[in-house]
Amino acid sequence: MFKGLSLIVMLLLGFTAHAENWPAEQWSIGPISSGPALQTLETYVFPPRDDTTRKGIRTDALLVIRDGQLIYERYAGPTTADTPHLTWSISKSLMATVLGMAYGEGLFKLQDPVQTFYPPMQKHPGVTLADLLHWASGLDWQEDYEYAPLKSSVVAMLYTRGHQDMAAFTADHAEYAKPGQAFRYSSGDSNLLSAALKNIVGPARYPDFPWSALFEPLGIRHAVWETDATGAFVASSYAYLTARDLARVGLLMARDGRWQDRQLLPKDWVAFNREPFAHYQAHQDDAVPGGQWWLNRAVEGAAQPWPDAPADTFAALGHWGQAMYVIPSEHLVIVRYGDDRDGSYQHNELLKRALKAFAQQVLP
Amino acid sequence: MNRRGFVRRRPFSTLLLMLLIALLGWVWQERVALWAFPDIISAYTAKEYCSCRYVMNNEAGYCHRYVKQWLPTSRFVDDAANKRVTVSGMGRSNSAQWISERQGCRLNP
Repeated sequence: MFKGLSLIVMLLLGFTAHAENWPAEQWSIGPISSGPALQTLETYVFPPRDDTTRKGIRTDALLVIRDGQLIYERYAGPTTADTPHLTWSISKSLMATVLGMAYGEGLFKLQDPVQTFYPPMQKHPGVTLADLLHWASGLDWQEDYEYAPLKSSVVAMLYTRGHQDMAAFTADHAEYAKPGQAFRYSSGDSNLLSAALKNIVGPARYPDFPWSALFEPLGIRHAVWETDATGAFVASSYAYLTARDLARVGLLMARDGRWQDRQLLPKDWVAFNREPFAHYQAHQDDAVPGGQWWLNRAVEGAAQPWPDAPADTFAALGHWGQAMYVIPSEHLVIVRYGDDRDGSYQHNELLKRALKAFAQQVLP
Repeated sequence: MNRRGFVRRRPFSTLLLMLLIALLGWVWQERVALWAFPDIISAYTAKEYCSCRYVMNNEAGYCHRYVKQWLPTSRFVDDAANKRVTVSGMGRSNSAQWISERQGCRLNP
């Protein structure tokens, strides 16, 4: 009995001695992996880079955080540890996290109509902030990039008819479904969130808000977030962070919105991000949409999108192979930047190999 | 001369006429998108080159390859002193301007 008690005390002492790791100005370095599992991963992620045809897997960066420590980092092409890399649609998940900070201040509720904060949405009075977060505005949006440039809403928004005021361009779309009833991935929905944030926090705080609310508290020093001509952040596409800095957001998410001893992001906000959208139908997209994050969840009897990764895996994903995977059960955050111009790169393949190389060994 | 007669005597002209009408209808329906279409290549190239060069701080040679698409561009000016990139293609011209450390690049109106 006494022995048992002292064992518990020792375990508790041991636990405090192994306090959580958090990045300071730099990430602390954890145990470095090596061996055949790592080689198998590198063979997949860093094949010879084809800059002539731009075919195949073209990784710019791979970075792995385990238990709050940097355990792997490698760069290729022109990208270095100091490159604020274009994240494309990872920006959407970042905007959701920035919005979560305003949510934590009690400035809005998920079921608030978007028009409350963004009057041009009076044309679509039924759309709520939750609907936008689910990519379920019901607006008739076309999300093709290169392959259907004439019909693409996103190309028109970024480069031609919409680039000066992306939210207004989105709000001008007709409805194809009732708000909140159907999933259709839309960069326009994400930019409506950005426009709504302007009045949620007020125009005076807005230009600095991503930095004051998210980047600075996490120690992120070199974030860039491009805007349209109205000053609205292009939440769909144009945030730039180093791989090391993006991983800080991953760690915040892996630890349910807590940063050291502060609950920066409300737990119920993270829970919403990680809850599958109820009206999503299997195979509508590559992964299951939550609140502007992608989930590895089985829905309607369909298998998990990434069968070789744990079911609690969630991710922020962007065009041309940008990805950040968060695996709370394995204490892992994986950032992968790329310049993939074809569909060679597979999330599940990377996750499978990364888990073999980096997942905690189960203690006997 | 009735309509049937015309169709029988001129089957190919009728077909061509119908195709032309369908084409014109489609052009009218898509007029906004069609008018904007030629801007895509120059606007895309100017914006993404500007960000590649002045936000991600990559080398000029790399950024040229990075923004290359299947549509050609005709004129390319990278005004490094002002961090302003102007590109022409398909008869249109667009420019992007670096704004600040935090705001990166933006397409000019």
